[in-house]
Amino acid sequence: MDRRTFLKIAGMGSLSFASSCTSESDKKLFSLVRAPGDMVTGKAGWYASTCRECPAGCGILAKNREGRIIKLEGNPLHPINKGRLCMRGQAALQGVYHPNRLKAPLFKKNGRFQALSFSEATSLLNSRTAAARTGSNRARLLTETVGQSLMQLLTDALQDLSSPPPLVFESYAYESLKTANKLVFGLDGLASYHIDQADLLVSFGADFLETWLSPVEYAWKFKAMHALQTSTKNVFYHVNPVQSLTGANADRWVACNPGSESLMALALVKHALSADKGRELSATLQQTLTTALAAFTRDHLLQNSGISPTTYDKLVDRLMRARRPLVLGPGTGASDSNGFLTHVAVNLLNLLLDPELHRLDFTRRHRVEMAARRSDVLKFFNTLNTDKVELLLINNTNPVFSMSSDNTVKEALERPDLFVVCFSNFMDETAALADLILPVRMPLETWDEYGGKTGLVSTLQPAMGKLTHAPHLGDVISKACFSPESPVKTYPVKTYKDYLVYMLADAHGISDELKWVKTLQQGGKFDLPDDPVNSRQPPETDAIIKLLAGQVESKPSELTFTATPSIRFFDGRGANRPWLCEIPDPLYRIAWQTPVVMHPGTARANNIEQEDIVGIESKFGSLEAPVLLSELVVPGLLTMNIGQGHQAFDNETESSGLNPLQLLSPMAHKDSGGTDFNSTDIKIRKTGRTMKLAGTAGSLTQHGRTLALSITLAELQNKKTTPRSGLTMGNFPLTLPLPEGYDPKRDVFPPHDHDTYRWGMVVDLDKCIGCGACSTACYAENNIGIVGEKRILQGREMAWMSVERYHVSDQMERVAFLPMMCQHCDNAPCESVCPVYAPHHSKEGLNNQIYNRCIGTRYCVQNCPYKVRRFNWFTWKWPKPMNLQLNPDVTVRSKGVMEKCSFCIQRIKAAHNIAKNENRLIRDDEVAPACVQTCPTNALVFGNLMDKTSHVRKLTENPRAYQALGYLNTKPAVIYLKKVIQEI
Amino acid sequence: MTQLTYAKIDQTILDTLTPPKWTYWGILVLLFIGVLIGAACWTYQIFVGIGVGGQNNPVAWGTYLINFVFWVGIAHSGTLISAILHLFRAGWRNPIARAAETMTVFAVCVAGLFPFIHLGRVWQVYYMLPIPNQRLLWPNFLSPLMFDVIAISTYLTVSSLFWYTGMLPDLAAVRDRSTGTRHKIFTFLSFGWTGAHEQWRHFTRGYLFFAALATPLVISVHSVVSWDFALGIVPGWHTTIFAPYFVAGAIHSGLAMVLTLMIPLRKLFKYEDIITMEVLQNVAKTIVLTGLIVGLAYGTEYFLAWYSHNTVEMEQFRWRALGDYRWGFYFMVLCNTLAPLLFLFKKIRTTIISLFIISLIINFGMWWERFVIIVGGVAHGFAPHAWGLYRPTMIEFGIMFGTFCLFFFLFMLFAKHLPSVSMTEMKETLEGGHDHAA
Amino acid sequence: MPHERHIMGLFKNEEHVISAVEALKTSPYEFIRVNTPIPSHKIMQALNLKKSKVGWFTLCGGIIGFFSGFGLAAFTATRWDLIVSGKPIMAIIPFVIVGFEATILFAVFGNVIGLLTQMRMPNSGWLKYYDPRCSGEHFGVLATCEAHQKDGLEDFFRKRGAEVKSFKSSPKELI
Repeated sequence: MDRRTFLKIAGMGSLSFASSCTSESDKKLFSLVRAPGDMVTGKAGWYASTCRECPAGCGILAKNREGRIIKLEGNPLHPINKGRLCMRGQAALQGVYHPNRLKAPLFKKNGRFQALSFSEATSLLNSRTAAARTGSNRARLLTETVGQSLMQLLTDALQDLSSPPPLVFESYAYESLKTANKLVFGLDGLASYHIDQADLLVSFGADFLETWLSPVEYAWKFKAMHALQTSTKNVFYHVNPVQSLTGANADRWVACNPGSESLMALALVKHALSADKGRELSATLQQTLTTALAAFTRDHLLQNSGISPTTYDKLVDRLMRARRPLVLGPGTGASDSNGFLTHVAVNLLNLLLDPELHRLDFTRRHRVEMAARRSDVLKFFNTLNTDKVELLLINNTNPVFSMSSDNTVKEALERPDLFVVCFSNFMDETAALADLILPVRMPLETWDEYGGKTGLVSTLQPAMGKLTHAPHLGDVISKACFSPESPVKTYPVKTYKDYLVYMLADAHGISDELKWVKTLQQGGKFDLPDDPVNSRQPPETDAIIKLLAGQVESKPSELTFTATPSIRFFDGRGANRPWLCEIPDPLYRIAWQTPVVMHPGTARANNIEQEDIVGIESKFGSLEAPVLLSELVVPGLLTMNIGQGHQAFDNETESSGLNPLQLLSPMAHKDSGGTDFNSTDIKIRKTGRTMKLAGTAGSLTQHGRTLALSITLAELQNKKTTPRSGLTMGNFPLTLPLPEGYDPKRDVFPPHDHDTYRWGMVVDLDKCIGCGACSTACYAENNIGIVGEKRILQGREMAWMSVERYHVSDQMERVAFLPMMCQHCDNAPCESVCPVYAPHHSKEGLNNQIYNRCIGTRYCVQNCPYKVRRFNWFTWKWPKPMNLQLNPDVTVRSKGVMEKCSFCIQRIKAAHNIAKNENRLIRDDEVAPACVQTCPTNALVFGNLMDKTSHVRKLTENPRAYQALGYLNTKPAVIYLKKVIQEI
Repeated sequence: MTQLTYAKIDQTILDTLTPPKWTYWGILVLLFIGVLIGAACWTYQIFVGIGVGGQNNPVAWGTYLINFVFWVGIAHSGTLISAILHLFRAGWRNPIARAAETMTVFAVCVAGLFPFIHLGRVWQVYYMLPIPNQRLLWPNFLSPLMFDVIAISTYLTVSSLFWYTGMLPDLAAVRDRSTGTRHKIFTFLSFGWTGAHEQWRHFTRGYLFFAALATPLVISVHSVVSWDFALGIVPGWHTTIFAPYFVAGAIHSGLAMVLTLMIPLRKLFKYEDIITMEVLQNVAKTIVLTGLIVGLAYGTEYFLAWYSHNTVEMEQFRWRALGDYRWGFYFMVLCNTLAPLLFLFKKIRTTIISLFIISLIINFGMWWERFVIIVGGVAHGFAPHAWGLYRPTMIEFGIMFGTFCLFFFLFMLFAKHLPSVSMTEMKETLEGGHDHAA
Repeated sequence: MPHERHIMGLFKNEEHVISAVEALKTSPYEFIRVNTPIPSHKIMQALNLKKSKVGWFTLCGGIIGFFSGFGLAAFTATRWDLIVSGKPIMAIIPFVIVGFEATILFAVFGNVIGLLTQMRMPNSGWLKYYDPRCSGEHFGVLATCEAHQKDGLEDFFRKRGAEVKSFKSSPKELI
């Protein structure tokens, strides 16, 4: 959808909602006899809103059909995600439609929950708050990261209850980064990074493509930085013991021993100083640092880190020569002393390399910085008892799960004289311990505002009617927590929506209806303040010195464990979304399960084999997990993804996988106050049992086939690459699915013509980061069935588009990603073998699959060299109300028929109709299949190959262009561009 | 065979039609229960979905098509013996021709079931038939599966007609030696055959044409079956040698099945004088030949893979011998090529028991050959990311068991109710034996 | 003039049959047919029969078959002109396969029709003047004669070592 249409539609939608719909709206979710003005049956309405699946706060457009949201897409106008969305954002829908979403409040009476009506629940809450008001300091509120307006309301509410302000809980609170910023830049917050402006990027584990701060934003910024320029390409080093998806996209993954990142960072600082960087800084700082860093020499590093000297020297050399270098610290959850120290060192390094810190933005800081340190959270729970707190309100967070390695939280919540209220829509671990669970409306159903960055207004509006009668949190709070004489009651507001408008008008001058509607239409107020308020202070030198001095030489532990944030489940809030469980991990290609990943060397040393179940014991806990072997972690390290293994979730879908957090220290780090996601001195033992892993990758490597190809920068630069003209796999030419692609030398049959359009796609492997957003979008758009762990073990996953992962056979630590979907071949092998013409070639070059005609001989999939066809082995189920999410424009397939990627033909048809009405041809880039639309890095381009001027057609002339297994001469309409690698 | 007379032939063969003992009926009932089990499994599959079987992505074809090819293969030797050897005037085929043809007819019936069982939506199977309809939706005659539909239905029709025509004189003979209801039935069945020279004049001619038509048909049918695979681009399938390779394999398995059926029949019906050791020997010798042909085919596949220098092909065949399904491959080589070579020893091919055992071994091996080809190819195809394995489920085994029961059920019915050896042709071998010499 | 007597000589030996048949030609008796348990080439030669016409039916069947098979494929393919695998709509080679199978099928139908019509079967009329032994070990030679020649014919057969079976005559006969 291009910008204009978006504005048209979104405008139309929001206007009417703005006028017709209040938060009391009681819109029903069945087809209406008289539809509201904006609802044209069969025509989608688009509502601009904001994604709340993680604190990044991307802008979204919710596609509403007949009163229900069926798809989420990025908001093209939004400065954070620029119209793109990650897999978690796509899956937000399944939160709203989740069958286990609580429809009514639950009240715990002698240990058992019983349902209440919302009015009963709210009055119950009111009585409690009234009770709490009698004394002072009786109530507490723990909330997720929320928007400015709601935060204000909550703060006022607690103030009115004469209790301390609400505490913001995030399992990833970036304590060490904040503290390091405080030490070095004198700012206890989270700057944002202009990765796109850097010419050299060194990351010490920041997984900015997965969960770190704002993944979608940093994904496109990273690709902007890492894009192939005319002759060069900027370099990205990833220094970390666990590769992670981000590391997989680095030009060089510098694998270092666990805990040695700080040594590396400090050695670099030392080097920078000796290279006389940061002259502009105060001499004293330089002096003191130089002395303090005396110990952190190159040799000391090389001994302890396992990094090869050449690699290190090259890196140093590049870093020192770089004109616009940017160094990022460790990943989301690194607040152990090593992580903290690394952060400090990284900040110093940035400071030295660029005293002006051009690539750090202290104005547009990440909202998540408001999250409390883990130390404070622990204090919060510990003081519940001592302060005789009577009422604890928890808004949509799950501390019990996030802090599952000890019972502090559990015990605190279980205390009989504490009344715990959970504003949660699911029965999660925390809710299970609450006395009252009061579901509130979910972000897609409410009015709200959430600016992912300072000064950014990003609005939320109800994109659909309510599925439950849950009230808005703001309304609950304002009814429950304010005494009649509180100042808030003097605001001219009846509902939270009014309050919101009032606050926005107040803070951002959205003063009149028109401005408000405009804001809603475009999803927010995006003109960020451009005045760099320089809140920076000079480094707290002596604190830093103390820190460095305080470093005790930690003896390397034989086995280390680290829990890594997962691109699929974030901190666990995504774990009950079937799509996120079903779509396998981008790197390990395992769905549903949480294996413990270790290096084959480690396994051999402990004579463990893949799929053995091993017992893992740390000082803090133990669990049993199946083993997955991978070269993507260093020897001596075990790692598991965070997010799964919820005991409280009550169906098998949600409780799948394991929870590695049990193995971690419950303590907060002394300096940073953060959590430590690593755990040393791990013991593993074989249990003798094994477990089949639900992997979707049949092979690690591609066995020398022309599937995921790469080309070195050098090769690319010397233009004299001889044109391929042979018939073998090696040098088969690019044969476009057009008449010009045919040649009597190769083709028995003459070419066939198409009618004005010949749809095709270009996949730039150099841009693809393998995040899997495309795959999720495809599930959402095309009503693809969820088969579950058991069926995936049987090899029956239904993904129309999957991002295949191949290790490079001679360097197993290198991986390549290959988005693989139906190639819509011009000579499709699947077509002629079907006895009933179910698959055939359309006038516009699509490989049509006619579900009603298919009788299920399954010959087509047998004959498909790309194995992209999927068979409905059973009739897949969509438990109510998940069925409401189904896209009405796409048939839901039943058992016994074959299906596959259709290039989102429903979108092509829609574009046809629009073009027809406007009596023109479909414009270039007017049609965007779901995958293309959501790709955070623009790796996918779709269009008409017959139009010589079209975007896709031009890209096919790229010297990197090739077709997967092109030598089969199937003439795929999906053209891949080789990944560009550089030897460094 | 000198001591054989017309009378003796008639007597031995007609004796087999005397009312059977209760054991016979007992076995029939057991077999029928087996058939019901298979039917139940299939019904379950139809209602729940093909997923109750083991097929998956990438291996979307499993035991159903393996058994299809297996049974079609079995069918072929029947036609070979009755038609091709008839054209070659090989006198020794006469004693076994009838049983072999019957085997053909029933094997094709069973084989014909499997494509139905295999379909994801069997209730839509009529889409594959060229039925005139309003929207002019027709099947796609470019598809090898449509070749199958036509070839198999033709084969079934032709072989049944051939079988019945050949049986006319014997039906008449039974008519003439029976009374009561049986007499009535056979009077009807024999169409009034009397062996008048006018009838023989046309009959011999017609029978010759039958043989002449059945011969190219039988070759085309299994070629077509092989094209189901050879016309696919899957590594391990996409090769031109498949047609002759499959035809040879088919006859190989068929002859083995002939032995498997004939040896017990010979024992039970006291056919020792009719189905002499010499006949069985000749079958065994032919098996050696076909065994060598399939052996050559196995070798050729490897040679081609190596000679092509095509990485995909080479990987496919490396994996076939060393990969997850290597046992299947060893079975197929040992049972189909090496085991039959034992027949080179006169001792072995003249001992009933060894003949019988080796025939069973070959049947087993030929089933595995189909497994290796059908499953192996796609399990390890072009896209390594999609590689996967396949294991049949109990439902599949249930259906397979049911169809085997069905075959033997039908064959037992036949053996006891129709002359299982052609009296006429036996008499011919006595009479003008010299001018029929093979 | 109508013959009254049908008499069948039942021989056990092919040679005797032939000599009997030869002799009948010169005798006053009229030879009708031989019923044999096997197709005996010698007897056929002795009767010097002309070639059967069944083959023509088969041939016609085959020709019709090929064209209808190929025709069906070609006709159906051109109804929708769907392109599959970039192959031409009129794909000759696959259609020839269809044609071939149809050829065989129809040829066999032709053959069967040929047989039935030529042999004039099914028809119980054949069973008249027939002896069941003819499907066993006997060769029956059927001849007719005038009532008064009955004994002569019987002797004729006996002399040549046959058992004699004489039938009641009936007015209309001769199949």
